[in-house]
Amino acid sequence: MKRLSIVASAFVALALAAPARAQGPGSGGDPVKGKVVYERYCLSCHGELGNGAGEFAEWITTKPRDYRQGTFKWRSTPSGSLPTDADLDKTIRDGIYGTFMPTWYAIGEHNRRDVIAYIKTFSARWKTDKPQPSIVIPAEPPYSDASVKRGRAVYEKSNCAQCHGQDALGDGPSAHELKDDWGNPIVPYDLTQGHIKCGDTGSDIYRVFITGLNGTPMPSFTDSISPEEAWDLVHYIQSLSALYPKNYGPAAAK
Amino acid sequence: MRKVLSTALSAALLSVLSAVGSAYEVITVTNGGTVQGVVKLVGQAPTVPPIKTTKNQDYCGNSIDNPLYVVGKDGGLKNVEVFLKGIEKGKANPTATITLLNTHCMFDPRVQGSSTGQQIKIASDDPILHNTHPQNNDTNATIYNIALPFKGFSVTKPLPATPELIRVKCDAHEWMRAWIWEFDHPYYATTDADGHFEIKDVPPGTYTVVAWHEVMGQKDASATVAAGKPVTVDFSFTPKK
Repeated sequence: MKRLSIVASAFVALALAAPARAQGPGSGGDPVKGKVVYERYCLSCHGELGNGAGEFAEWITTKPRDYRQGTFKWRSTPSGSLPTDADLDKTIRDGIYGTFMPTWYAIGEHNRRDVIAYIKTFSARWKTDKPQPSIVIPAEPPYSDASVKRGRAVYEKSNCAQCHGQDALGDGPSAHELKDDWGNPIVPYDLTQGHIKCGDTGSDIYRVFITGLNGTPMPSFTDSISPEEAWDLVHYIQSLSALYPKNYGPAAAK
Repeated sequence: MRKVLSTALSAALLSVLSAVGSAYEVITVTNGGTVQGVVKLVGQAPTVPPIKTTKNQDYCGNSIDNPLYVVGKDGGLKNVEVFLKGIEKGKANPTATITLLNTHCMFDPRVQGSSTGQQIKIASDDPILHNTHPQNNDTNATIYNIALPFKGFSVTKPLPATPELIRVKCDAHEWMRAWIWEFDHPYYATTDADGHFEIKDVPPGTYTVVAWHEVMGQKDASATVAAGKPVTVDFSFTPKK
């Protein structure tokens, strides 16, 4: 019995001491190593204190993320939640189209994992809170003209035009006085310009209006748009851009 | 073995709790006292120009009265949150769902109190898109941001797990503002149109009573509550010229 308890305490001690080992992309990194990565690649924009006020920040729009609040735009998790490690890894790996955030594919998964662990030290929220489960995205139905048309109806019913405008040019009536959580001016995305900031796949676009973009005016439509409607809306948004391969397909040809 | 582990665990838990701060303790309150009073605005309320609406004027109109200073009978000031600061024990928190309505391009109510564990129903009466975007007033951190795209839409969400002062905005209509005080206890009230407030079932003892107004800030007073009796605590706010 005594031996058993010693073994058990050893296990408990180990479980408490060892950092969680990698569960997936971005998880289980070492913040000490991550600090070195951060200082090499991230500090000039995101700042020594992780406050988004690095040397170059003044000259940049969209402003670099301030890590101190634990607020992140691109997530697979519901509105208000922290992102998952995989979400952070995706942002760092792919970069953010149209902003100064480049792709960090080249630094490799290990460095990204470590820098994610370090970024989390800037906000106490990572100690007291944890990400809610990722939303479930159902399989994409086929892209079709009918789906695009239904998607336009969802766009109208959901009043997306209030910010994004009738023609999705980012020029709706509320477009001009929007601010982010830090008080910086922010504009609704022009959905016709080609690439979408958060990624171009159907599920990337689906995720944006279901989860919303924390820290920005973009709210979550999870309670007002059904999954079927959401896919139609994705197809409508894709139909606005000539860059989507889908737009060269049969549906576009008709 | 099991005992040792559970003792160790509860010790760990206790240390976590004490690090966070003493939690509110629910006790049976019989024959509690009442803290009541009036909050007044001294002198003339500052003239605040009406809100000029900049979008959806066809529905919202061109201007809306600015509700920063709502003064009623004898200078009574509406929308002041009055609460017992740091009260450690007393009756259980309410469990009813609170409501925040988007109506006529404004939030209603402007100011309200709530307790941890309550939920909030966010609803819209307006045939235009609103979004309800509560933020922590100190850090600006987004709590969540919910689209209310059409008339009659509503959604019920939990309040944050820890008490905080919540500032609510609608990004689509930047003039809209609401305040939700969230406490870990049930001892608070929002002043009515005549500036009255009443906080009931308070266990006897001496408390710090705080009155908070969105523009004029905070004032506090001490009140000693005796069993079964009301104690009157009045506040007056003098607006800056």
